[in-house]
Amino acid sequence: MSVMKPRIQETLRKQPNEWGIKLFMFAIVLAIFFVARDFIPYNGVTEQGLLIARNIFNALTNPNQTILFDFVTRDGVPVLIMETAAIAFLGTIFGALISIPFAFLSARNIVPKWIASIGVAIIVVIRTFPAVVYALMFIRVTGPGAFTGVLTLSVASIGMLAKLFAEIIEDLDPGILEALDASGCNTIQKIQYGILPQLMSNFASTTIYRFEINVKYATILGMVGAGGIGAPLIFAISAYRWNDAGALLIGLIIFVLIIEMISTRIRKKLATGD
Amino acid sequence: MIQFTDVVKRYPNGVEALKGVSLTIEQGEFVAIIGLSGAGKSTLLRAINQMHTITSGSLKVNGVEVSSLKGKSLRRFRRGIGMVFQSFNLIKRTTVIKNVLAARVADMSLVQSLLSFYSKSDKIIALEALDQVGILEKAYIRADQLSGGQQQRVALARTLAQQPSIILADEPVASLDPVTSAQVMNDFLKINEALNITVVANMHHVDLALKYARRVIGIKEGIIVYDGPASGINQQTLKEIYGRDLTEDDLMGEH
Amino acid sequence: MAYLIALIKGLVSKALKIITPEPLQLSNGKIVRPAISIMWIVIPVLTFITLWSISMTRFRLDMLIRRSEQFFVIVNRMIPPNFAYFDSILTPMIATILMSLVGTIIGAVLALPFAYASSELNQSKIGKFVVRGFFSIARTLPVLVLAVLMMIVFGAGAFAGTAAIAIFTFTIMVKMFFELIDTADMGPFEAILSSGANRVQAFWTAIMPQLWGQYYSLTLYNLEMNIRNAAILGYVGAGGIGIVLSERLAWRVYPDVGLILLVLMVTVLVIESVSREIRRRLL
Repeated sequence: MSVMKPRIQETLRKQPNEWGIKLFMFAIVLAIFFVARDFIPYNGVTEQGLLIARNIFNALTNPNQTILFDFVTRDGVPVLIMETAAIAFLGTIFGALISIPFAFLSARNIVPKWIASIGVAIIVVIRTFPAVVYALMFIRVTGPGAFTGVLTLSVASIGMLAKLFAEIIEDLDPGILEALDASGCNTIQKIQYGILPQLMSNFASTTIYRFEINVKYATILGMVGAGGIGAPLIFAISAYRWNDAGALLIGLIIFVLIIEMISTRIRKKLATGD
Repeated sequence: MIQFTDVVKRYPNGVEALKGVSLTIEQGEFVAIIGLSGAGKSTLLRAINQMHTITSGSLKVNGVEVSSLKGKSLRRFRRGIGMVFQSFNLIKRTTVIKNVLAARVADMSLVQSLLSFYSKSDKIIALEALDQVGILEKAYIRADQLSGGQQQRVALARTLAQQPSIILADEPVASLDPVTSAQVMNDFLKINEALNITVVANMHHVDLALKYARRVIGIKEGIIVYDGPASGINQQTLKEIYGRDLTEDDLMGEH
Repeated sequence: MAYLIALIKGLVSKALKIITPEPLQLSNGKIVRPAISIMWIVIPVLTFITLWSISMTRFRLDMLIRRSEQFFVIVNRMIPPNFAYFDSILTPMIATILMSLVGTIIGAVLALPFAYASSELNQSKIGKFVVRGFFSIARTLPVLVLAVLMMIVFGAGAFAGTAAIAIFTFTIMVKMFFELIDTADMGPFEAILSSGANRVQAFWTAIMPQLWGQYYSLTLYNLEMNIRNAAILGYVGAGGIGIVLSERLAWRVYPDVGLILLVLMVTVLVIESVSREIRRRLL
């Protein structure tokens, strides 16, 4: 085009420079990576490393069928999975039970503001520490093993469960309580018919969600010594016993997938009316 | 030129949206399609750029058999056809100029489009398109801050940025009030006359269709029951097309 | 034998009578039979699982009570923390922070194309199934397992840890983001497609602009998770503060442990607050 209308030229000149923010973000990311090079050295790939893809593939396709189907001894995959499940289950149940009072103490529509703030602060502090840290500490107290795993998960679950429970409590619909009040119910009836129904299904849904998460954590905790399938798994991998590792991994994967499916289905049912 | 010859569209569930449609639209015409919802207007329109496929018959656009196009040839074909939607379909959180520039992406390489590397000539084309619909001054404003009528004009500018030979409009003013509808329809008319772009518009409101289009096609249950000048439509033909008397809903009304 | 059967039948019918609610008669004469409450199934099942779990994990309440005192002894020894120790943990702490940053960024970036492939935008049913299935399985791997695997490939150290976090974030973000893509408005997408662009271009131009804010928000959310993950990866030797923590605990140098926990807590809180604030403004 030979002649551009002056109005268009004018508008073209006025275009805002949006490259500013993009460049800024890009620069930050570059800076992070640049600094990281000093702290995260790259030592190349190890000899074994090049084979690892093949080994993992091998592991999953040729699992050690003996331990995979060994339903009897404690070294068999099924028993280990069940132990992991038990740790996750108890940890979730106890965690939920402990979290309930914490949650009520942090809900601003139940207790005065200053108590709620303290409650929230405590929950926040509990939540900052990764579960493994609690595990390492509890091992000092109750020794390694599944029992410690349960304790750890109970405490670790508080962080998330208490927070979410508190949110559910704060979301309570006061209208229902008013209506019950107006029809002459006493406090216990109000709690039973007004509060509990609203809370129960939400609490249950949240707890089941946490159970899903705890199943994965139970495995991790096992690796630091708190029982379940984690320890045998990490031993097998570190010792390059790929077939054993494969059996354990397959058991773990199938288990987690099943739990995910069941959990999603139950939570959907809870959300839509049960 | 758009040429339908005995076009049939049958959906997998057995419903026949088009039952042997034949018509020819020359370059530069301004055609309105009217009829009940579900009569086949949308299917007819979208068959033209293969947004809907046809089951049998021949549909030729500028000499090309539309159903033979796929992949790259289909995309190049669609470059020449712009489409305007009832719900505008703008990218809400982006500026007006970016919305119009999005039309240029089809001509750019994948890498270029990922980086949003619009050339200067792209930007000029976009700005000129905005100027043609009269909202050049809104170029750098976020699209969702405009009124409905302005948004539709941005959509129109977007199609203009494709430099198309045909513009398809699917009930373009059905969501707008009478005053704005008139403005937008005038824009279509202006573009049709100034640039000789064929305009095929599905119209929900009969009075607007009769006012702005030179030629009207009435479709009922997948069959064309009227194809002629707007002036040739009377109460009788309307009743044939709609199968009933017109209601208030079918008319845009006074402004 | 027949006596036994009759006895069982009697017990069962008695139990059913107890748990089945009374049918109600409405004023218009209709009779309503409320369903048996599901609690009759849920509570016994839960109790059974609880008891079974208690035995499986060798849960000993008495031991807990006896040893809980020990817990407070340890906590007591952590306070006051040994602030002199700070210089030694500065480097691992920074490494931990960087590990989580780099790992999250890489994971989030890699997730984009695969999220696209898992979403409804992918027209191939088989393709979608394979991608979603693969990532469902990959997601079941706990981050520590990934860390050990990465250590075998890259040797011990922070690089392996970063790679583990990257992969972990990658698998999680694919799911979170493809679910997000499926909620986007397809109108603009259809419009750009009709102008002749290919599906990827239309996705990038018409759908991504709707989602950038939420994408960054998801990334920051993962960052909050990952700073905790990075802290523990060191335990298996994949870099960061984890190895220091476990070592100090093993040697029972509790004031040092106290400092590590304190620094960890402050770091996590700072990162979380900043991240929350940015996320609040994004959405």
